[in-house]
This record gives sequence, structure tokens and C-alpha cells, in this order.
Amino acid sequence: MLRYDSTSSSAGSSSGSLSSSSSSSKPPQQDIDGLLAGAGYKVRSSELRQVAQRLERLETAMGNSPADFSQLASDAILYNPSDLACWVDSLLTEFAEPPPTCSSDFIVDPVNNQTVVNSAWTAAEPHTPQVHQNITYDEQQSLDNQLTVVTAMEEDSGIRLVHMLMTCAECVQSGDLSLATSLIDDMQGLLTHVNTVCGIGKVAGHFIDALSRRIFQGMGGGSVNGGSAFENEILYHHFYEACPYLKFAHFTANQAILEAFDGHDCVHVVDFNLMHGLQWPALIQALALRPGGPPLLRLTGIGPPSPDGRDSLREIGLRLAELARSVNVRFAFRGVAASRLEDVKPWMLQVNPKEAVAVNSIMQLHRLLGSEQTRNSPIDTVLSWIRGLNPKIMTVVEQEANHNQPGFLDRFTEALYYYSTMFDSLEACRVQPEKALAEIYIQREIGNVVSCEGSARVERHEPLAKWRRRLSGAGFRALHLGSNAFKQASMLLTLFSAEGYSVEENEGCLRLGWHSSPLIAASAWQAVPAWDNHMSSS
Amino acid sequence: MVQTHRCEDHETVGENKEKRPKFFINDHVDILIEILKRLDGRSLCVAASVCRLWCTIARNDSLWENLCFRHVSPPPSSVRSVVLALGGYKRLYTGCVRPVRSRLGRMRKASWARDEVQLSLSLFCVDYYERLGGSNSNGRVVEKSSPSSLMFLCKPVNV
Repeated sequence: MLRYDSTSSSAGSSSGSLSSSSSSSKPPQQDIDGLLAGAGYKVRSSELRQVAQRLERLETAMGNSPADFSQLASDAILYNPSDLACWVDSLLTEFAEPPPTCSSDFIVDPVNNQTVVNSAWTAAEPHTPQVHQNITYDEQQSLDNQLTVVTAMEEDSGIRLVHMLMTCAECVQSGDLSLATSLIDDMQGLLTHVNTVCGIGKVAGHFIDALSRRIFQGMGGGSVNGGSAFENEILYHHFYEACPYLKFAHFTANQAILEAFDGHDCVHVVDFNLMHGLQWPALIQALALRPGGPPLLRLTGIGPPSPDGRDSLREIGLRLAELARSVNVRFAFRGVAASRLEDVKPWMLQVNPKEAVAVNSIMQLHRLLGSEQTRNSPIDTVLSWIRGLNPKIMTVVEQEANHNQPGFLDRFTEALYYYSTMFDSLEACRVQPEKALAEIYIQREIGNVVSCEGSARVERHEPLAKWRRRLSGAGFRALHLGSNAFKQASMLLTLFSAEGYSVEENEGCLRLGWHSSPLIAASAWQAVPAWDNHMSSS
Repeated sequence: MVQTHRCEDHETVGENKEKRPKFFINDHVDILIEILKRLDGRSLCVAASVCRLWCTIARNDSLWENLCFRHVSPPPSSVRSVVLALGGYKRLYTGCVRPVRSRLGRMRKASWARDEVQLSLSLFCVDYYERLGGSNSNGRVVEKSSPSSLMFLCKPVNV
């Protein structure tokens, strides 16, 4: 396990003498930066910043004298690129770069600074989100130099933060809480050097909080799950507005449900988490306009009971009923208040055998997964009564992540990568306060994944492949979502103000991701008729 | 009224009055409507500020209906009642169809025209629903007075 010392003091003093790195004594093995080593480069952690600055100068030099560069390429003298520090220095001597003085170490061309630093790190660090340096370009020239120092340090600190987070998680897993505690202190100190408004600093901040909560408050999670239902609804609503994940989920599920209801005159939708009912206006409108006229639509919304006498489920039902009345769709609503999904019994839903049933679960099924794989675990009970309803379609949307692994370190690593990607995508949102509240929503999820255990940990995300196995084993077969759903999803994403979202189709399921990292997966299922099915043990 | 003012103007101009036929577009509302029907959204809004007559005509929802479905085959008649119930074609166009079309403009395929309108309709419906919520708050804290679900359409696209 490594302790990283802050080497900011050493940078100024080792003033760019070119022979310094190559003539230094053999570095101790542990000082090699682990992540870069994974990419095949040997760089000492203490030299990270210097190497970065020299790479910048190299790029400037290459840009300024392309003739020299082509000569270099044709000269077949090969340097060992894996020893990155020496390699860069050797190339710099080729360009006859004067060795920089101490002060000029920090005066770097601000225009090139961005691209060089970013590309150097992103090439080697595919899992670290790019730090969005959106402050420097607008600053005045006199401030630029100061800021380039900050950005170089930030990148350095950002990488270190990730290292320390991983190390701390490892400590927590092995039970070494004293080392974990001191690492938390170090990380919080390091956070002051990093821009916590965006990028790695922000995500790291949340993970540090979650880790410290786990260490100091035990695994009940403290106040993470303490949010009232009303608060959760507000946060959910802002998450809906700020990023397209929920909209994608709703529109895709609606399209599948609409297609499944084709030809039926009596339809019944069971929503496992009603919230503000934002999914249903679009379905009501689509049913109103379907050729042949709208069916009789019944909606059963499940949600947590509301305190202080207010019946929030009924209020939402009334709103939806008013909308349905405006567009002439016969509509009936029923609310089922249950604090946990496993408390719901099928008789509460009052399903009529003659109607076509659709079950809609947006990020709810994973809450039923316990840590022990027992028979009659909540997920099995719920899946079996769903099957008993014989739904025409069951739409399942889940986070595409593996956050239910037994090992803490694996879970932590996955979560760090997943939520970094999600925060990255959130950067594109310009609408406040939606963005800030959406972040709190995500922050709560992070807190639950990292700092809770046992029954308190409800965010037990599993990837699509696992859900496929589980649902097939419970007697469901997959329905293909179809090209209409794909087209609609693509159009919807194009409307969002960032060109980073991607939809991909995978064996009939749609996955929405940010820059090809999938974040959320939508699929549709149908119960296999009982006489056709042999139950395989899951 | 602008109309009468114009008449006076012509009268005072004098000599060429007899030779020039008096044609005021405002006398021929049906032709005016035909012309306005062919305008794009922005021009239609500008036209609404010309005079009261034009304003009244431009506010007519059927002109905006024309705009929404200009590039698609005419929709079934049931669409009209739904759209009118949800707030009307002008609102549909300015709130949803136009931003959706301009956003998708870059990667537009001809076959998407109908889907664009359908998507706009769905977003429009969600917007109506949210507006419903604002007015029927019943003591619950109203977070936003303006519909928020379409806010993402109003922000400039960040390429």
C-alpha cells in the first residue's frame, strides 16, 4: 500500500537540468505510477508534473519546427519510450531546446497547455474523466500563467486522488481502518488543490464523503436513506429534467407498451414507482391518437406512503385523470401505498383477467435483490407474482452497472467509474437549479452503494446480462424493442444539448450511454406460458 | 386604424391616384390567409405585429397547424382535438416543433419528419401535464412556475 507525499516542493527546485532524471539513482520500484505502468509507461510519481511540462514543450517545439521533426522521424535512433521521462528529455535535446530555468517551468503556452495536458493524460488514463478546464480561456493573459500552474497541479492531484481513493477502499475492505482514516484526511487536504466544481474533484468529493461515512458511522448509512419521500420526489424530478436518462427510459418503455397494447380495448398499466407520474402523459396522448381510438386505460401507481395526511398518489392520479379527460381517454387510477415493493401483494392491484396488463419498472427491481442468494428472496417472490398476472409486457429499465458484487473494492471501483461517467454527462446540462439537485440525487445513490450494507443498501445495480439470466430463469422471455423505439431514443438524445450520448441496440434491448460507456439499459419481457416452461433453478 | 390612415395618405398623394388600382390586401382576407399560410414561424410572428387584422389572423391556430404539419402528410383529424386540448398549435409549434426541428436539423433524414412531430407531441403533452401541476398545487410547494420539461429545448446546442 502506498502513501503519496505531496511533492509540490520538489518541482521548483529540480530546475530542468536535462541530466537530472537520467542520472538520478535507480528509483525504488514502488514509486512508479501504477496507472501509467498499466499503460506501459514507467514514470515516477514524483516526476509526473515535470514530465507533463516537458511533453508540452516538446509539442510546442514539434509544432514550431516541423522540419526538425521529420528529420527526427527518419533518423532511426530509437529511444525507449516506456521510460517516459528520459524519452521526452532526449527528444527535447534533439530539438535543441534550451534547458528551462526555474521560473520558465511555469510559463507555458496557455493555448497549447490544454490540449497537451489533456491528451497526455487521457491517452494513458482512459478511466479518468477529463477535467473540464473551462475557466482558463476567458482569463486575461497576465492571469493565464498562474492558472496554467493550477491546471497542471490539478491534473496531478486529480490522478493522485483516484489512486488514494482506491487505496482507501482497499484498506476498508481489509479492515485497516486506521490507515483508511489517515488516507481520508490526506484526500480531503488534496481536495483543496483541485477544482471541486466540476470533473474529477467533484466526483472524488462525493466518494470521499461516502467512504468516511462508512468508516465513521458504520454501515447503516446514517442520513443517506433518511430523505423523506417528498424530498426524493423533488430530487427525482430534477434528475428527470437535467439529463435524458429518465426521459429515455420513459419514452422507450411507453413505445414498447403502446405496441404491446395494440388491438386491446381494456388495458391496465402497473407502475412500480409512480413519483410524479411523468411517464404517463405521453402514453395517454399516444393512446388517444392511436388508429381505432383510445382504449379504456387503468393505471395502478405504487409509491411510498406520504406522511402528514397528504395523499400524494391520489393527487397525481387526479392530475393524470384531468389530462386524460382533456384528450378524451377513458381513464381510471388506483394508488397503492407501500414503502417497499415486496410488501405489495397482487390482489392489491385488482387486475381484471380480461384486460391487457403492462408492468413498468423503472429502476425498481434492483432494490429487491438481497445480498444472500436464498430461495424466496424478495426478487423471486415479486417476479413470480408478476408472472402470475400474465402481463402482455413487462418493461424493465435498470442502471447498467455492476454494483452488487460482494467484494467492496470491486464494487467501489465500478461505482467510481460509473458515476464519473454520469457526472461527466451532467456537465453538459446548463439548467440550474435542476443540475445541482440532480447531482444531489446521484450523490445519494453513491452514498448508498458505498457506505451501506445489508438491508440498508438498496442500490444493488446489476448489468443487463445478469438481469437477462435472472428474468429468463424466472419464466420470462425477451421481447425485442424494435426500430421505432430506437429511432425515438436517437431523436430524443439528439435534442439534448450535448453530443456525447449514444444509443445502442443489444439483442433487442436498448442501452443509453455517454461516449459509448453504457449507463442505463431498457428491455421488455413477456411471461412464457406455464405449460411451455420448465423452471430452471436460478 | 392603420387602414384608414393609409387611405388618407393615398388621397393626399394626388396625381397618380386614378391610374393606380386600389388594392389593399386587408380587403381580401382570404388571399391574406393564403399568403400567411405559407410563411415560416418567425415570419408569421413578425406578421402578427403589422396591424390588428394581421394579428388576429396570425393568431388563428389553423395557420400554425399548417406549419406543424407542413412537411408531413396530413394527420388524422383526432390529432386536432388533442392538440387543442393541450394548448393549441401555436404553442405546440413555438414550444416543441420548432426547437425539435432546428435541433435535429443537422442530422435530419427525410423519413424522420413524421417522427419529429410525434416526438414533439409527446413532449408537448408532458409540458401540459407539468403546467397542470403548477396550478393545482394544493399547498404543495411549486418548484417552478414555468414548464420545465421543455427547458432543455430552449438552451443553445453546445457542439
